[in-house]
Amino acid sequence: MAHNWQPDFEQLVDQHQSMVFSIALRMTGDRGLAEEIAQDVFMEMDRNLTRLESPAHACFWLRRVAVNRSADALRRRKVRGIDLWVEMEDVHGASPEDRGSPLSTRLEQLLAKLPEAQRAALVLRYQEDLTPEEIAATLEAPLATVKSHLQRGLKLLRAKAQSHLKEFVRGN
Amino acid sequence: MAIEPDDKLEDEFERELRQAFARRPAPPSLKRRLMERGVLKMKRTVPVERSFVTWQRLAASVALTAALAGGVQWRIIDQRRKEEAARAQVFLALRITSHALNQMNARLAAHHRGGQD
Repeated sequence: MAHNWQPDFEQLVDQHQSMVFSIALRMTGDRGLAEEIAQDVFMEMDRNLTRLESPAHACFWLRRVAVNRSADALRRRKVRGIDLWVEMEDVHGASPEDRGSPLSTRLEQLLAKLPEAQRAALVLRYQEDLTPEEIAATLEAPLATVKSHLQRGLKLLRAKAQSHLKEFVRGN
Repeated sequence: MAIEPDDKLEDEFERELRQAFARRPAPPSLKRRLMERGVLKMKRTVPVERSFVTWQRLAASVALTAALAGGVQWRIIDQRRKEEAARAQVFLALRITSHALNQMNARLAAHHRGGQD
């Protein structure tokens, strides 16, 4: 398909590095691994630059590849028998302002305990503010499955938050 | 938009979730590593080199076209100059011939007149 948009690689990196890194971080819980994944995602984008049709398509493509690469990395770790989750307090190389609020850190820890598909759906929903339809397109999954992942994931996360984060969640 | 807009608590929890899941800034080392892998540097230099080569090619094409056009024009002017010179020589020869024929004609006429007398 013909398109006139000329992607600027450096501009795309500047624009989306935070998004790609955050998706990888919340999917894996490991800053070092998230940085490696983000690097791989941008390297892959460089190889596929001519296929990107518009800024919106580039953003969509980056989200999808970031989720897929994070899932691949988690599977590789599982095969190697390495503990999947690195405690967020033990993050290496993170400055205090990069670590987020204590609530954010605790919620990320709880998120990491959810199944991978639910985690991906929740990250895209609450970090990227996507609709269930957009999440379904990003994950290439049926809408009903995505809605189910969102409902179950949110229910699980809320239950965990209610038992672990009483000091943070109001109304309990 | 709440996934399960059952009660107020859920909306509030989702709001807190959205705030807690705000994007984190990427570490500066990410961009540095991409630069070290040559991806960013290449993207900066390649278009500059390409545009330089394009300008060089364009300038060479313009110079070559100008030289060819100049050569063709010079050949046309030279040809015209030679044609003019040849035409002038032909006219001169014709004038000389005409003059000689006129003289010859006058002599013959004089000779005829002398014979009749």
